[in-house]
Amino acid sequence: MLTFLRRRVLTSLLPLLAVVLGVFVLARLTGNPTALYLPENATAQAREQFSAANGFDKPIWSQLLDYLSGVVRLDFGTSLRTGESAAVMALRAFPATLQLAAVTMLLACLVGTAVGCWAALRPNGLADRVSSLLSMTAASVPDFWLAILGIWVFAIMLGVLPTSGVDAGGLSWVLPIAVLMLRPAGVLTQVVRGAMISALGSPYVKVARSKGAGERRVVARHALKNAAPPALTVAGDLAVGLINGAVVVESIFGWPGIGKLLIDAILQRDFAVLQAAVAITAISIFVLNIAIDIGYALLDARVRQKVGAAA
Amino acid sequence: MTLLENPPEAPAPEAPDRPARANWFRMLLADPAAFVSALILLLVAFVAVFGRQLAGDSAIKGDLSLSRLAPFSLDHGWQYVLGGDLLGRSLLGRLMVATQTTMSVVVPVVLISLVIGASVGMWAGYHRGRRETVAMRIADVILSFPSLLMAVVVLYIFSPSIASIIAILAITRIPVYLRTARAESAELQTRLFVDAARTFGTPSGAIIRRHIFPIVLPTLLTVATVDFCYVMLAESSLSFLGIGVQPPDVSWGLMVAQGRDQLRTQWWLSVLPGLAIVITTVSANLLASWVRIATDPGQRWRLTVPRRRRRAAGPTVLETT
Amino acid sequence: MTLSPHGLRARNARAAALVAAAAAMSLAATGCSVANSDAGDPAGGGNTLRVVLPQEPPTLEPCEASLTATGVVVRSNITEPLLERNPTTGTLEPRLATEWTQTQPTLWTFKLRSGVKFSDGSDFTSEDAVAAIERSANNTKLACNVQGYVFGESGKLTLAAPDASTVTVQTGQPDPLLPLRVSFVEMTKSDTSTTEKVREPVGTGPYKIETWAAGQKLTLTSWDGYWGDKPAYAKAEYQWREEGTVRAAMVVNGEADLATNLGADDGAGDTGVQYPNNETTALRFTTDQAPLNDIRVRQAIDMSIDRDGIVKSLFGGIGRPASQLIGPGVVGYNESLTPTAYDLAGAKALVDQARADGVKVDTPFRIIGRTAQFPKIAESIELIQSALTQIGLTAKIEMMDTSAQMKYQLRPFPDDAGPVALMIMHGNQAGDAAFTVGQYFATDGAQSSSGTPQLDQQIKAAGTQTGDARKQAYAGVFASENKDVRGFAFLANMGAVLGLAENVSYAPDAATGDELRLADVKPKS
Repeated sequence: MLTFLRRRVLTSLLPLLAVVLGVFVLARLTGNPTALYLPENATAQAREQFSAANGFDKPIWSQLLDYLSGVVRLDFGTSLRTGESAAVMALRAFPATLQLAAVTMLLACLVGTAVGCWAALRPNGLADRVSSLLSMTAASVPDFWLAILGIWVFAIMLGVLPTSGVDAGGLSWVLPIAVLMLRPAGVLTQVVRGAMISALGSPYVKVARSKGAGERRVVARHALKNAAPPALTVAGDLAVGLINGAVVVESIFGWPGIGKLLIDAILQRDFAVLQAAVAITAISIFVLNIAIDIGYALLDARVRQKVGAAA
Repeated sequence: MTLLENPPEAPAPEAPDRPARANWFRMLLADPAAFVSALILLLVAFVAVFGRQLAGDSAIKGDLSLSRLAPFSLDHGWQYVLGGDLLGRSLLGRLMVATQTTMSVVVPVVLISLVIGASVGMWAGYHRGRRETVAMRIADVILSFPSLLMAVVVLYIFSPSIASIIAILAITRIPVYLRTARAESAELQTRLFVDAARTFGTPSGAIIRRHIFPIVLPTLLTVATVDFCYVMLAESSLSFLGIGVQPPDVSWGLMVAQGRDQLRTQWWLSVLPGLAIVITTVSANLLASWVRIATDPGQRWRLTVPRRRRRAAGPTVLETT
Repeated sequence: MTLSPHGLRARNARAAALVAAAAAMSLAATGCSVANSDAGDPAGGGNTLRVVLPQEPPTLEPCEASLTATGVVVRSNITEPLLERNPTTGTLEPRLATEWTQTQPTLWTFKLRSGVKFSDGSDFTSEDAVAAIERSANNTKLACNVQGYVFGESGKLTLAAPDASTVTVQTGQPDPLLPLRVSFVEMTKSDTSTTEKVREPVGTGPYKIETWAAGQKLTLTSWDGYWGDKPAYAKAEYQWREEGTVRAAMVVNGEADLATNLGADDGAGDTGVQYPNNETTALRFTTDQAPLNDIRVRQAIDMSIDRDGIVKSLFGGIGRPASQLIGPGVVGYNESLTPTAYDLAGAKALVDQARADGVKVDTPFRIIGRTAQFPKIAESIELIQSALTQIGLTAKIEMMDTSAQMKYQLRPFPDDAGPVALMIMHGNQAGDAAFTVGQYFATDGAQSSSGTPQLDQQIKAAGTQTGDARKQAYAGVFASENKDVRGFAFLANMGAVLGLAENVSYAPDAATGDELRLADVKPKS
């Protein structure tokens, strides 16, 4: 396990570097930000001064070297927009996103697994049909609709929830999470259902059944474990989407997360912040991917054991 | 052991021995939801091809006196049965024109990312080792890249066009298929029937095609149909940022994004195109799950046995297959 | 804001589903997070004014106060200028200076108010004023926004402090606008950094910064040592939400007392107060390539814009059709100009005439707009584009993000731009036409893509005038531009909606968007 982990981490360093470099280069392809930061009627001289002060007049490889030598000293640069340290801004915004993503994924996985299994027990039955329809709809409703509608219904019409913000305690979480989890829950329900139908029809489940294992035990111990890998992949991808920032939900609900920071940085050509934000999300995505791989390895081992035992 | 590793493409014991093709239509009729979905998708396809002609002028030329016209009234002709948009254009006509644009973005994106992602994923999962590592790390790079940045870059350098939108969306979706296909094929390549094929000297390409692909396909289809709506929604957020489909062209996503300001006053402006997205994706999903059942020899009986008997058979039937 | 029955039904169905989901969610969510405070309870027992803005101030650096997002919080709340322009009357009023005179043609003398203290307790002296003006107007390293915006063409200023309450400003050329320019400089302490921008400044204003939880909330608290009247609210709490509908909802729901920059469709309902803001929207033409190099084509485009329709149907009645690039409050506004009448037949005739004379009217050109620059910008451009098709012109729409659009807005323009009609929005914060025409109408203006030598002469001549002659001269410039150049097709003098809770009284004016004076907000008794 440890060797696996070490190799996995080592092979991840190169792609991580690729992301950081890629963002650096791509960002600079979106144009010099001088016009955005100087007044509209700034003189040509002022523009040149600004460009020079921020190194935008240097060739890109030289800017890259400057940047990398900063990164080595843990200096990710300063935001053009706010004058703050880019790393500080990214680190401040990230926990908000992470918390939101974690709670959302947890709930989505619970709902997705429960409903998906239930539906798979009797494919094409009434429960299956209804839950399929609901989960498909949930997965395809535009999130800003739900957000705006949710604010309108729960905050204005019913007055039970705050419209937005983070300072109303637990209540602040309800709308953002409800809006965010709908799609992952819908997708996961579909995936779990599909994988469970296959698993329930697979040989070792049959063997387990023939050995007289109870239905609940069959579903929980045998089929679910076999259905887990595809669900884990999809859940991982959904989680990555959430970590990269739920831009819409963050900006509608005023949730001070990394998604909003990232989009503002892109649109404002605030390169230092963009690079810092991508670095931190990329690292966490790589960690998440490693965790998923470990999950696979564990599942794989157990599934194989089970099959062996059953046979 | 051999029983356990039964190759799935072998016909299930009591699957009727008639040519499957003749059965397709009957099986479709046996599942009303799938049948309706198929009809809806046919309609969408028809509108996607002929919508522009059908919609005519009212979808392009506005009449400000009909701005924000409420839906469900025939007072201004059939074109305005779903109301008018802000510029007083027929919403129905706009929806029809948008169908074409939407489909010409979404279908290529899903197909391209599915084909590329699935092939690379199956290849990587089958061979494992270094090839797998490289493919997976590339997927990681794409996944952890902010897709928005990619979009802004591409659209900053090339002017926004349907082709560049397709390219961006396709690239960002490839890892999803890649990872799914890799996971399943890595698991399958340890199975006995694959081993058997290998010992008989079947080339790896053929093994992937004949033995792995058919088993991975159902999961890929599920992911692809779900992705269908994801792409539509992603296109909508690109539109919202002004880097998606450009007016005067219009897509469902653009309509949803533009109409959201009026969600509380003129709800139909964004709810109706949103419904179009929901209905189309739900139909695609329903049809896909029908296809899964119809192509799975172990499940096909559900569509050939009359309803009543099916219910009587109950869950125990699972064990008889 | 009427609701159709269908709308209600659709909502109720989804509402039911949402209720179920949310009920389950709220249980889970409250279980795992610490509920600290209650949303409905304003800190300080109702003596806090809660303001919701469209975006978080990037910084509170006073020399960036001409950036809307910064200025709206800083100006006259945290820091103050020497003098201030009244947005309604247009006259300059004393603030930290009590009087100012042009003692020589190139020398202005300002007398400072006595007894003014910074919120850290130190006295405000002429030394501070000199340092602040120096920092904003002359310091090229800081590159303050104010510097380019207000002092761009005035050259280096020479400052002196003959005594503790007097400041003199020496200009290179006689500058009648100097006091107006100085009104843009917020006063900071003399020891404020001259090499780096300051995120949290110390000022003399009625409020000082209490806490700034970046990303979430900014709290100001009133300062006891303020030289003027104590403001009605002891605290002010700023939050920011990007969506207009959410800002409106916060006021309607009682979570905020004041919401800025709302649109007609945002649902402010009874809490909404309409007001004209400084902004004017227009299409700006490049005049060097076919088909836009022919004035008849530009006139035809101007005539094919249905301004009344746009304002009524798209802007929801907010704003009014424009006849020139500035609004009525600005010195030099020409009262006699009227918005061009909507006349598709006449426009078509002009295009045909140009075609007959050999102008390549069929050459396609681009209409470029900045995404979300103002509400319904995409729809407005689409309407214009569709009208252009009807009069026989070929225009392609391109919406861009700010950075990409700027390439077309500022000189030097891209070489391969081709003929472009650019949607612009211009806000003259300073209140004098000089800040508009030099930029947009002069042949070498930083944002100009048209102009003639005659117009340049007229602009130059107007700049030296004062008083009524100045108004006349600039009015003449606007008339000539419309008649002889037609480098612009003006769309509308824009307006906005302010969401105001029913227990708060405040009268918005043209400057509200750039400068929200908290001291002017009072609780309704």
